[in-house]
Amino acid sequence: MPVKLSSVPSAPVVLVAPPTSIVPATKKSELLSKSVSPTKPAIDSSVMPQKSQSRAKHKPGIWGIFGSTFLTIFLAEMGDKTQLATLLMSAQSSSPWIVFAGAAAALITTSLLGVLLGRWLANRLSPKTLETSAGALLLFISVMLLWDVVQMGG
Amino acid sequence: MDWQLLGLSFITVFLAEIGDKSQLAAIALSGSLKSTRAVFLGSVTALLLASLIGVLAGEGVAQLLPARILKAIAAVGFALLAVRLLWPSEDRSEQ
Repeated sequence: MPVKLSSVPSAPVVLVAPPTSIVPATKKSELLSKSVSPTKPAIDSSVMPQKSQSRAKHKPGIWGIFGSTFLTIFLAEMGDKTQLATLLMSAQSSSPWIVFAGAAAALITTSLLGVLLGRWLANRLSPKTLETSAGALLLFISVMLLWDVVQMGG
Repeated sequence: MDWQLLGLSFITVFLAEIGDKSQLAAIALSGSLKSTRAVFLGSVTALLLASLIGVLAGEGVAQLLPARILKAIAAVGFALLAVRLLWPSEDRSEQ
């Protein structure tokens, strides 16, 4: 039985986007950044009205991107094979902090490589191809994560 | 300073991380979002935090179990990881 929206007094609408199966990467990141830091833009523009208006527009964007990247990768990494390898190595070594130092150096290197590759691809591909590919890639990652969950639970 | 352990740790984590989901996520996000720096910093922070949790959990485990049993578990754990890495599974990305 379809409920008319007008009959619902003040329903908290979370998603207003039309039902599409694949959300383009930029929209997804905007959704993520909005959910991660919803109040930041409001605070920035009210505290610093006109002078740093352009700055206020940049800051929430940067922190939104930082926050959503952090959350995505942190959740992908918890319980992942890299973390397990670090755990096992540090558990049975006499100097776990040396293990951490080596792991940290490797993680920074692979992050750098990944980010540089992403930028290189961004320079080569059209924006539409980029968005579709990035969205597809993130979807693939979420499927892999779900597969991990199923395998761990089984 | 145990350089061998440092090198071993670096190589192990490097190989485990190349082509891993978190790196693929870094590639996808840096390609499609505006600030490369923010993506890099977000990625590094997330990975270092996860790694730190791994080390602390490992230390906690080390205090509970005797060395021999720990080494046996580590050996099995690494063997499983190796099998997972080497297993010629779903060839989605090999196109």
